[in-house]
Amino acid sequence: MIRQLAGALALLVAAAGVALCLGTPYVAPHQLPAALTGDGLEAVILTELRLPRLVLAVTAGACLGAAGLVLQEALRNPLAVPEMIGVSSGAALGVAAPLVLALSVPAAAQPLLALGGAVFGGVLTLVAAGFGRSPSAVLLTGAAVSAALQAGLLVLMVLADQLDLQLIYRYLLGSLSARTWDDVVGLGPWLLVAVPALVLCAPVLGVLRLGDDDARALGVRVRWARFGALALAIVLIAPVVAVCGPVAWVGFLAPQLARRIRPGSEALSLLPWSALCGALVVLCADQPARLALAPVETPVGAWTALLGVPAGVALMRIRRDRPSRQASEGSDVMVGGGR
Amino acid sequence: MFAGRSPSAGQVWDVLTGQADSTARHIVLQLRVPRALVALGAGASLGLAGLLLQSALRNPLAGPEVTGVTPGAVLGAVTATGLGLAGWESPAAVVVAACLGGFTGAGLLWLLAGRRKSDPEETAVYGVLVSAVLAGLTSMVLLVAPGELGSVVQWLIGSTEGRVWEHWALLWPWALAWGVASCALAAPLTLLRCGDEQATAAGLAVGRARGAALVGAVALTAGAVSAVGALGFVGLLVPHLALAVFGADLRTTLPGAALIGAVVVCGADAAAQVLSRLLVEGLGAERMTVPAGALTTCVGAVLLLVVARRHGAGQV
Repeated sequence: MIRQLAGALALLVAAAGVALCLGTPYVAPHQLPAALTGDGLEAVILTELRLPRLVLAVTAGACLGAAGLVLQEALRNPLAVPEMIGVSSGAALGVAAPLVLALSVPAAAQPLLALGGAVFGGVLTLVAAGFGRSPSAVLLTGAAVSAALQAGLLVLMVLADQLDLQLIYRYLLGSLSARTWDDVVGLGPWLLVAVPALVLCAPVLGVLRLGDDDARALGVRVRWARFGALALAIVLIAPVVAVCGPVAWVGFLAPQLARRIRPGSEALSLLPWSALCGALVVLCADQPARLALAPVETPVGAWTALLGVPAGVALMRIRRDRPSRQASEGSDVMVGGGR
Repeated sequence: MFAGRSPSAGQVWDVLTGQADSTARHIVLQLRVPRALVALGAGASLGLAGLLLQSALRNPLAGPEVTGVTPGAVLGAVTATGLGLAGWESPAAVVVAACLGGFTGAGLLWLLAGRRKSDPEETAVYGVLVSAVLAGLTSMVLLVAPGELGSVVQWLIGSTEGRVWEHWALLWPWALAWGVASCALAAPLTLLRCGDEQATAAGLAVGRARGAALVGAVALTAGAVSAVGALGFVGLLVPHLALAVFGADLRTTLPGAALIGAVVVCGADAAAQVLSRLLVEGLGAERMTVPAGALTTCVGAVLLLVVARRHGAGQV
């Protein structure tokens, strides 16, 4: 436990170091403290550009990771991720629509728009799939809902003119470029709501894991619990999407990594790990996004999608091929097997 | 055909009976007729491809969109366009690239889910994942070559805007050849639908028949994608309609699926044009065009929910 924590934190620190040092201008690691406290060009770049970006990456990743774990546990399905159940696309649609239709929206209202879209997408999926009776039904429904929302987005893109199009496209893939302290501060109030709710919610997730019938026998209202979990996930996801776009598949990969690190633990103890892994994933993916094709920035979401999906699938399959541990866990209801 | 902005339906009739002025004739013969034909051809290809996939994989939820074939084909076409190997001037190269991409997508899915006997829903889920990866790749390519973005977005969703005789000339031999080849597979595929054991007992080389069907499906999808882009959910849902209408004997249902697909896409195109017109009149926006793919995707999503629920209910 301690060893894993130390390892993860070391990785986080290393990635943060890369985030602060590399780029133009290059700042050597031993100059960091001086540059951070000094004044001059390097100090401005560090404190006004790289540091907020770093903080934002960590925060966004932690939110997405935690939200992914909540959804996966609530629907007992390793593939129940924001991308697959219409939450992400809904939120993105909520943000992109005013952009194209040239409605001016105050920045503070953007999370609300994203929230509306996310609620719409998520609730649509849950209701259409009958509150997650069978995990795979939820997924297919979610895929359908997502596709429909994506179609809406694409229609918007067809309507947009070239300049808007570039902007929207970047946003839709999830990008951390040119984000400032304002964006980071904007996330604050939402986190104040979400974090206590997470802590309150976690024990119920542990009960849901047992299966619907057992949870009912223990006095949990399964449907309401699912709705609550979805609401919580939406509150975590929507502000992140509003600020940096739907960074893809972090909510899928982070919980898988967390389970890999801490096999057989409770939902409550997995949550911080999942958040940590999410932060790590986004921070690590943001480095190639910044540097790989310099001076052109690539969206971080493209990297997380490219690397995250294969990695997550690989992790899932490894876990499936070792059923000995799953029997005691009971969390590993495989896709299509939750009956 | 009759749903465009101008000329009106009456004028179209005049053109077809050969008594109209040259502008109207040009619009109808050079723009609308090929557009309708391309829509018909692409729809037929997609319907066929979907039924082939569903029969070969014995999976009611298989379709070109969720088995990675369509996203792969789009990726191939976009990559070729982005690298400057192909453009609107050389549509043949786009078809080849789309084919390669389609095979890549299908191959990826096969690597993930095909080797073990997996249940239909699991395969569908893996297909969605594969599609997600391919879509991620596509977006990377688009970012490297942003100049193409505007024209490619039309493709990502599927649209019949501005299709002319050249597209038709390219599409119909391809679609016809593969379509006939697929219909020749009808009898073995009907056996395949009954299950591998029965098919083997009846003396069918299961692996070979399945492979042939998959090749046909990918080729048809690639042709359709290179012509009109990724029309959502047509290939997934048309087969269900076809089976409901024509029954389970593929010898009649395969052509039936082609027919229904053609009608569906053409209808979606017409509906999209009517919608665009209403929007233009309603909002006064000049550039409003609703792509046909948006319609098929939205309607298809609803239908997919119905299908998934029906199949899910059968298993719970």
